[in-house]
Amino acid sequence: MKEAKTKSKNELLPGTLEMLILKTLSIESMHGYGIAQHLQMLSADVLTIEEGSLYPALQRMLVKGWVLAEWKISANNRRARFYTLTTAGKKQLGVEESRFSQMFGAIMRVMKTT
Amino acid sequence: MGSVLRRLLFFFQRNQFDRDLEDELRFHEEMKAHALADADGISGDEARAAARRRIGNPLRLREQSREPWTFATVETFAQDVRHALRLMRRDPAFTFTALATLALGIGLNTAIFSVAYGVLWRPLPYPNPDRLVIVSSAQQTETGPRTFSTWAPVSYEALRPRVTTLDHLAAYTSIDAPLTGRGEPLQLRALDVSPNFFVTLGVNPARGRAFLTGAAAPDDDRSAIVSDRLWRTSLKADPAIVGQSITIDGLPRTVVGVLPPDFSFRPVIRMGALPEADIFLSNRWPGDTGRNAFLFLLGRMKPGVTQERAEAELTALVNDPSIAPAGALGLEGALAPNVRTLARAVGLQEYGTESVRTLLLILLGAVSFVLLIACVNVANLQMARLSARRGELSVRMALGAGRRRIVHQLLTEAVVLSLLGASLGVMLARIAIDVTLPLVPQFALPRLGGIVIDARVMAFCLGLSLVSTLLIGLVPALRVSGAAFGEGLALHAGEARTTGDRQGERLRTLLVAAQIAMTLVLLIGAGLLIHSFVRLTSVSPGFELSGRDGVVQTVKVTLPERLYDEPERIHAFARGVLDRIQYLPGVKSASLINSAPFGMMFIRGDFGIEGQPKPTLDAGKPKIDAGYFKTMGIPLLAGREFTARDTMAAPKVAIVSERIVREYFPGGPGEALGRRVRLGDRGEWLTVVGVVADIRQMGLDQEVQPMLYVPFQQERGEFFVLRFVSFVARTATPASVVEGIRAEIRRAAPDLPIESTVTMDEAVAASVAPPRFRMLLLVLFAMTATLIATCGIYGLMAYAVTQRRREIGVRMALGAEPRDVLRLVLTRALRIVVAGLIVGLAGAAGVTRVLQTFLFGVTPTDPIAFTIVTLLLMAVGLMAAWLPARRATRIDPCAALRAE
Repeated sequence: MKEAKTKSKNELLPGTLEMLILKTLSIESMHGYGIAQHLQMLSADVLTIEEGSLYPALQRMLVKGWVLAEWKISANNRRARFYTLTTAGKKQLGVEESRFSQMFGAIMRVMKTT
Repeated sequence: MGSVLRRLLFFFQRNQFDRDLEDELRFHEEMKAHALADADGISGDEARAAARRRIGNPLRLREQSREPWTFATVETFAQDVRHALRLMRRDPAFTFTALATLALGIGLNTAIFSVAYGVLWRPLPYPNPDRLVIVSSAQQTETGPRTFSTWAPVSYEALRPRVTTLDHLAAYTSIDAPLTGRGEPLQLRALDVSPNFFVTLGVNPARGRAFLTGAAAPDDDRSAIVSDRLWRTSLKADPAIVGQSITIDGLPRTVVGVLPPDFSFRPVIRMGALPEADIFLSNRWPGDTGRNAFLFLLGRMKPGVTQERAEAELTALVNDPSIAPAGALGLEGALAPNVRTLARAVGLQEYGTESVRTLLLILLGAVSFVLLIACVNVANLQMARLSARRGELSVRMALGAGRRRIVHQLLTEAVVLSLLGASLGVMLARIAIDVTLPLVPQFALPRLGGIVIDARVMAFCLGLSLVSTLLIGLVPALRVSGAAFGEGLALHAGEARTTGDRQGERLRTLLVAAQIAMTLVLLIGAGLLIHSFVRLTSVSPGFELSGRDGVVQTVKVTLPERLYDEPERIHAFARGVLDRIQYLPGVKSASLINSAPFGMMFIRGDFGIEGQPKPTLDAGKPKIDAGYFKTMGIPLLAGREFTARDTMAAPKVAIVSERIVREYFPGGPGEALGRRVRLGDRGEWLTVVGVVADIRQMGLDQEVQPMLYVPFQQERGEFFVLRFVSFVARTATPASVVEGIRAEIRRAAPDLPIESTVTMDEAVAASVAPPRFRMLLLVLFAMTATLIATCGIYGLMAYAVTQRRREIGVRMALGAEPRDVLRLVLTRALRIVVAGLIVGLAGAAGVTRVLQTFLFGVTPTDPIAFTIVTLLLMAVGLMAAWLPARRATRIDPCAALRAE
């Protein structure tokens, strides 16, 4: 029970993980591990991406056609599965971004009023 | 759309997907191990183990990654179904009980529904059946509207060309017509129909043509259309039948058409449905005087016309003075000029089903109670099993199955049970229908042909199984969601056996009490019908049934109008046959009557008494011959019977029944003798020569009618009612006497078909067949319910005893006698039963009112039925608890305590 509490502190808002992945992939194609590293690094270790969330999220996005997956050779010369953004994915990123900034703005407004 | 396609594709590439995911995750793990090794400086193997720990349950990760691709519900459902089937195989006792209970409940419902649907709701087999209406006549009298069904031909001919809200208006009337010249003379059920009858129904013959409707077809009045059944049987499926001549009622008729095999038209009259007609005769009823109303009118409304609009137009036409004098178009209109005639339009579908509708709805209600009780039983069984499965479910939850998943699984188990139960139920329903339909009393159900198990009935059955799924799945599922279940593992470890699953037990107790309540309602309904039936059959018909001198055998014939067009011919035929059958071996005495009691016919009308104001009551007017009362065993109270000397030449005489004396001759039977009475308003005066006891003419539940008996041989004014002749003979050897009478009739009239040969015992029994059938059905349902509820109590108590084994062991160790243990268990059972009975009694008191129309001499809250049935159910309930209670007394305290 205790563990769950600490975990929830770092939990993302629902839906944001997919947005973050889309954003990451809009820079370049990346494999799953790379995505996790990238997010952790950029967020200065605040966001730790659980494998248990990452891979199901990637599969969901594959199903929805936002990303494509193909096997390529990674930087350290290993066979890895790279994910690339599709046109639908790019469009989705725009949608998610605007929705998020709307939500974020709203939350901030609430928090600033005292 | 794209995502569905991708997922479907995935289905065929599952192995590839698994390999890809495997590789990807291994890659991830290695990268992570690598990073950990770099950061913390640990060795490769350790780093890999650490990486694996961080990633967590690999199986779960894999499952979750797969999930987006699958049609999750379908796959988990299939998995749950497999699991449910496995569980059912492992517990055959539970499976058998649950399936049998459900099959009974669903089967009964399906059977009754298929009957109700077939009779009440299945669209009739004609195009646009909702536009077909029966137009009945009604009269606005001072006491309110009186509905009649029929019209005179002149009224029909006045309405048909004028009505604008109907596309067609056809007329028909049911007659009996003998078919001769094709083997044994055969009495056919025939319909005299207007030429446009089939056009109105929208049906075309399969062979030949329909009747011609124009005025240009006068020859068509000699034509006939036969049913497929008649064509196949008596006409030997002759392919060249169209155009041939057959002899109907002594006259040649040309067959112009054969109806399709699935054609069905059951003429419905006020008493019930007549058998389907086998032959249709075209008729225009020329030269009608309007004195007799015998035509049923069948209309096809124009599209968009409502029944109200058609009624309004027809009523206006009937009362339009420019067509006919006021009232002349209504039934007996001319006789009652101040009475306003109305037209009523009733859908052909509903017409004549009112009484059956009530019965069928009651039966549907009764069987849905049975299903409810059955579902409660299965739900209870499930709950008991759930307690036993606590361990399994707790382990599942501990391994990460969410509550939703468990609820899902339990509901799936319920679905599997219900669907299997429903399939068995449909089979059961089919058998039930095949077995019982032939037993249904004639006339009781119109449109038997509509009763089949088809897609619609199956859909209903599926709906039922859905309902039962919810009932038997949801209750236990809700229990799982309850808080207590979380500690399943701990409970599983042992404590459960002392405290029991209190909340679950309370719910189960409640359900069993509810079962008792519902069962009681059904049983009381059955009890009321039984009591009513006993009351009904203890009523004396007024004549002697099988007595010392044997039974009364009747043989009925209908003399064709065309050959017997004068009273003298009928008198001669009747006298000739009667003279001979009196001397048949085995006949104690014989006579005849034109309207035998408990037959289909009862002729009644107004009468007069000399020197008294006109009686308000109508009287039955049977025409009888000498020796009738002696043969029937009707006591003669005063005066004499008719004799062979009461002929046309002799003074006109009459015999009155006790009721007439009671109403109009305060001085008793003696006062009536010698007084004069007459039939109708203008008839001849007849001297009363005898007074006889009352009889019941139409049924045991009917009021005693005043009767005015007249000698058959003296009637000539209304001689057409003499055409119906029932010979009656008191005999101990009815079978041989029937043959004798048959031979005598054949000798006198070779072409005359015998209409029916029944004994009076059979006729009376047939008259109580519908109440008996109703009673048997409800008793059957109530007994099924009792059986199921008994299983419910037994199950609950057996389970409770097992649960409280240790407590009972402790009590016994502390000195409780077996008697005390017995009392402990039985008291608990009694509390549940009594609680159920109280609720059930209250419910029954509110519900049995619907049976009102089917009760005779018994009120819906009949104290006898209520008391006996309640005590009976209490006894049955205690008996069901007795077995587990006995088992409780045999608990060995040592063993019970050591088991911990």
